[in-house]
Amino acid sequence: MIARGVSKRISSIRFALLSPEEIRKMSAVKIITADTYDDDGFPIDMGLMDLHLGVIEPGLRCKTCGRKVDECPGHFGHIDLAMNVIHVGYVKEIKKLLDATCRKCGRLLLTKEQTDEFKKSLERVEEFGGDVADLGLVTKETVREAASKAVCPHCGATRTKITLDKPTSFREEGHKLTPKEVRERLERIPDLDLIPLGLDPRVCRPEWMVLTALPVPPVTVRPSITLESGDRSEDDLTHKLVDVLRINQRLRENRDAGAPQLIVEDLWELLQYHVTTYFDNQTSGLPPARHRSGRPLKTLVQRLKGKEGRFRSNLSGKRVNFSARTVISPDPLISINEVGVPVAAAKELTIPLTVSPYNIDALKEMIRRGPEPVTVTGDGKARYLPGVNYVIRPDGRRIKVTDKNAEQVAEMLEFNFVVERHLTDGDIVLFNRQPSLHRMSMMGHQVRVMPGKTFRLSLSVCPPYNADFDGDEMNLHVLQSEEARAEAKVLMKVQEHILSPRFGGPVIGAIHDHITGAFLLTYMNSMFNKNEVMLILSMVKSHRDLPKAVMTGPDGKPRWSGKQLFSLILPETLNMAFKSSICVNCEPCLYEKCDYDAYVRIKDGNFDVGTMDEKAVGAFKGKIIDKLARDYGSDTVREFIDNVTKLSIGAIMVRGFTTGIADEDIPEEAKKRISDSLESAVSRVNELVRQYKTGELEQMPGRSMEETLEVEVMKVLGKARDGAGDIAGQYLGMENSAVIMAKCGARGSMLNLSQMAGCIGQQAVRGERLSRGYWNRTLPHFKQGDLGAEARGFVKHSYKDGLTPTEFFFHSMGGREGIVDTAVRTSRSGYMQRRLINALEDIKVTEDRTVRNTADSIVQVLYGEDGIDPSRSIQGDAVDVDGILIEALGDEAQILAKIEEKRFSPYATLEKDMMEGQEEEESEEVDYDIGEGDDQ
Amino acid sequence: MKQSGGRSAPKRGARKGKPQPGPAELEKYIERSTGERSEMQKRLLKILKEMERKLPESVVESVAERLEGIEVRDSTLKKILQKACDRYEEHLIDPNESAGIVAAQSIGEPGTQMTMRTFHYAGVAEINVTLGLPRLIEIVDARRAPSTPMMEVHLAPSLAGDRDLAMWVSNKIETASLLDVASLETDIHNMRVHVLPDSERMKRKDITLQGLRDVLAQSRGLKDLVSENDRDSITIQIPDPSFRVLHQKSEITRDTKIKGLDGITRAVLRKEGGEYVIYTEGSNLEELLSFDLTYGEYLGATDKARYTEIAESEPARLTMQVIDKTKVRTNNIEEIYSVLGVEAARNAIIEEASKTLEEQGLVVDIRHIMLVADMMTNDGSVKAIGRHGISGRKSSVLARAAFEITSTHLLRAAIIGEEDMLDGVAENIIVGQPVTLGTGAVNVEYMPEKKV
Repeated sequence: MIARGVSKRISSIRFALLSPEEIRKMSAVKIITADTYDDDGFPIDMGLMDLHLGVIEPGLRCKTCGRKVDECPGHFGHIDLAMNVIHVGYVKEIKKLLDATCRKCGRLLLTKEQTDEFKKSLERVEEFGGDVADLGLVTKETVREAASKAVCPHCGATRTKITLDKPTSFREEGHKLTPKEVRERLERIPDLDLIPLGLDPRVCRPEWMVLTALPVPPVTVRPSITLESGDRSEDDLTHKLVDVLRINQRLRENRDAGAPQLIVEDLWELLQYHVTTYFDNQTSGLPPARHRSGRPLKTLVQRLKGKEGRFRSNLSGKRVNFSARTVISPDPLISINEVGVPVAAAKELTIPLTVSPYNIDALKEMIRRGPEPVTVTGDGKARYLPGVNYVIRPDGRRIKVTDKNAEQVAEMLEFNFVVERHLTDGDIVLFNRQPSLHRMSMMGHQVRVMPGKTFRLSLSVCPPYNADFDGDEMNLHVLQSEEARAEAKVLMKVQEHILSPRFGGPVIGAIHDHITGAFLLTYMNSMFNKNEVMLILSMVKSHRDLPKAVMTGPDGKPRWSGKQLFSLILPETLNMAFKSSICVNCEPCLYEKCDYDAYVRIKDGNFDVGTMDEKAVGAFKGKIIDKLARDYGSDTVREFIDNVTKLSIGAIMVRGFTTGIADEDIPEEAKKRISDSLESAVSRVNELVRQYKTGELEQMPGRSMEETLEVEVMKVLGKARDGAGDIAGQYLGMENSAVIMAKCGARGSMLNLSQMAGCIGQQAVRGERLSRGYWNRTLPHFKQGDLGAEARGFVKHSYKDGLTPTEFFFHSMGGREGIVDTAVRTSRSGYMQRRLINALEDIKVTEDRTVRNTADSIVQVLYGEDGIDPSRSIQGDAVDVDGILIEALGDEAQILAKIEEKRFSPYATLEKDMMEGQEEEESEEVDYDIGEGDDQ
Repeated sequence: MKQSGGRSAPKRGARKGKPQPGPAELEKYIERSTGERSEMQKRLLKILKEMERKLPESVVESVAERLEGIEVRDSTLKKILQKACDRYEEHLIDPNESAGIVAAQSIGEPGTQMTMRTFHYAGVAEINVTLGLPRLIEIVDARRAPSTPMMEVHLAPSLAGDRDLAMWVSNKIETASLLDVASLETDIHNMRVHVLPDSERMKRKDITLQGLRDVLAQSRGLKDLVSENDRDSITIQIPDPSFRVLHQKSEITRDTKIKGLDGITRAVLRKEGGEYVIYTEGSNLEELLSFDLTYGEYLGATDKARYTEIAESEPARLTMQVIDKTKVRTNNIEEIYSVLGVEAARNAIIEEASKTLEEQGLVVDIRHIMLVADMMTNDGSVKAIGRHGISGRKSSVLARAAFEITSTHLLRAAIIGEEDMLDGVAENIIVGQPVTLGTGAVNVEYMPEKKV
């Protein structure tokens, strides 16, 4: 809080009920006419738009405080109701009070002892930290007890049964209680008897729940809009108040004129209706009040409630300035903690700087550049330099800097002026992509102003944002205070979020082509000549020297190995050993002598054996990234990731890499084998069906015949698909680009490939073979009751072969299920997350490492039972025991051998494989609200 | 690890009282769960104490495990522990960290990646279990009963390899209604209900005609009506001719549970590493834990010869419980709460939630799940995440109003004179103040020197 040196904090807010006296006291004017404006369009005195209520039109002054539009906050008025009216929100409460108190003497229908007891139990609940819900339960019990009495223990009057005629009328033994009578009874309840009923007499008298005066909100709350045609359109609340006033007026006239009881009662009820709908236009049992067009009016409760209501859309979430939103596009050459900002945006977004002796000269220079600075430097290229949009004087006057007055403004600049300068390289901003599901959805980036119209970001930060470039847009927020910038720099920078707090592993790392590039660079004996080496290394920042070439090529010139080049970007002290993604888990493991080059060894920063792929540098799985982030600090990893990116791009450009449908070509012979194996699977299915029909099929325990058949068939067809994939796989070797991508973890899987080259396999809906459609068959192409493979959604062909019409239809059925699933899932999980956040948002770790909520009650005595921060944990473990042992024990062979074994236990994630299939699914505009059913 | 004073005793379980496992069994369980400390562990703890530093037991255990059986000098151990302590302290969570939000995000975010498909086959192909997102939602909702309740019953270790025994136990547990083993006929003319047992099915379910008759004779409403001595059917005679009564009695007969535990609709055997494990569809922890099945009973019913043989050699075995009650599992959290208490329920929530996430291939640190479970069980009962549970009981009016059912909360706050102390997150955002977590929880005070 930097509000000019004054730091204030609201310490608490107390809620209370307004008494009629208070309503009248705070009222600026009594409203009596239902009209709003006169013929000149001027507000009528004592009308709903009275100038005492505040002003919404420029030029006018408020008659209460004398201020102009935007300065006057508005003032309440009031309507004196001709007859009493019940407040809808409190009908249930009134019913409870009427039930629990004597109709004659107004006392609580309990003996003194009972009253004391209930009071005591209320106190006890409070003492034990009971919340509002608990107190509610006690008072409910009190009311129940009191309502069960037949006679009043104080005056001996017999209790009468009062029923509630929804929504707002009460009936006592058949005859109607008027609000006036209700109010009289409530008045009789003594203050002391209110406490056991859960009411606080200091803030609320029960009779205030029956209204005698209605507050009229200031016009600023219900501004009227002037349409283009010049017509005025009033706010819904104003409309409702007009109704109230009109009926109120008629009721008063009729009553004073001594009109028949019947007419007065009808009008009274009508007034009750209007006041009720003024509060809540969705009261059950009442038709909602409608606008002329038939649209239901949005009255007070509707304004507050729900996702578009005041609370959730204006109070819990607020609109901000100094933000920008545009399409994102990739830039592999910027660092992961940078963001490319288009010049046009940089010139709109500003940072306030206070003028001081230390920056006055620089700021003057900046102001001289004006709001549109394009400085042409020597080489003829336009280079971006920040200018200034506004200068704010200490008295609060804003001076707009224009090209014309720039010089003049610069001259008059003094200390303590505030200069709003453009965004420039190196400024720290927050960058965000919705849905913001975790804290990595909003991170601090350094600005790099660039030509173009999109935000540019490094590909390595796509996974935490879950961003791609098919038209995604992202938001950028410019921080306005020094405090905020410092926090963002220390806590929110991208490199501080490489390790996810969810599982303590990296979420930022190489993806797609960068993994392929690293693979091509390092796999087996890839060698590069001097030109290539220079090209690859040209972008890389390394402080290590290029080592001596490992061999001489056939042309007699030196050749460097890819592994040597990769070593250049590793810290010199790094020691690691692990298995790559391409590892096929052969038994026994040959370690360094691996035939597949899958065993990675790094000794003192020298990487000489193995292949760099997803397990080494990938997001989610990269072990090197994990290790560097832990042991070398965030800046080292950032640099490493940037270097890997550039190295990989260099390598993939030098080597060349492409994939196409031709990658799924398999020889005729393979196709023959596949179709033969599928044919035999289909006939086996037919055989099963025959056995089922003749009853020869052996029933599985706990299964019906039908289920047994389905299980068996699924088994056979599943095997057939895998078999086809295996055959196809045999003809697709490591020289195949698609296979390289699948094996090194860049993109796609062998399953994808086998579906493209071999066979797509069984389509399923709800985990079962397709069965719905026509009577006893899926499509009219088949016989009724056909249970064979083709008739129930088995797709024999591959994507490359193309599908038959029936197969295509079945495939769409399966695909549809997936789409529906995603749509349902996003909304359901969104609502679950909202609830989780709401339940846990107040929980923090305190100085003594207990976990408490903000009411200071302990949730955990020690966070997570060991006090370890999950993002610092070693895959969930408190400390890296193996690492410590290695460090402390040096070289005791026995132990190291043991450790070696343990180190290769499978690493965390399947994650990426899960995301793979879903990446392309995008569902726009998810409504997270499922649960907002109001059970009031 | 939780504060849960005297109030944590579950109301329902305490009243019913009986289902707790016997003291001896409980002891065994405790022993198994904490385990003995190994020599190495004791040594490490001693050194640690001398060093006056602290490490969580789990770390000491894993260090000990790796060093087990290796000669190491005390000085070396000290060096190791020193390092471990240093690292441990580095890895501690920072004060004022908003652990709750991080936990909620960590569980909520992978939700988008989970499958929606309700039915999946887990472990046992025959039994359907809700998995994925629906199951996770079910857990945080603290539903009374899961949509697919399920139990896992282990046999006593020494008997677990016996398939016949396992089969016999599963038959005992599984509910069988009359219609499972017999058909019904209503004889309007004679005002009778005939029960016609299917001998094949009776045999499979291990029920005798007499047994069936006894059960029927004991069931409420059929007393004294069941015939005594038909040969292969049972007749229920209605004394006074009335169609209404006849219909009613026939319905009672039809719905009679012949044997087994309520709610357990199916029991399936599965062999796991040489042991037979019974998986059940439906769950009834309370009755299962108090279900008395001895080895002697089994032998008496199946193998008389062996019964006498064992009665002579080792009579103790005859009274041995066949079911290992310390290993019984259920996925019904509410049931665990009412039978075993909150702490057990908390552990069940943690386990069920992490199992669900794990099955989907998602890694979520257990500490996040623990926090959710601790929050749900904080006051001694299992409360849901949502407006009927934790969110509806927040101390702040504004926070409650901002979540759901806005107007009710505001109206109520006015009459009971609630005061919002503005110390939570949502409230402070609403009034536009810094929140009290993280960097908002600390303040820097600067006292400028006064100019003279």
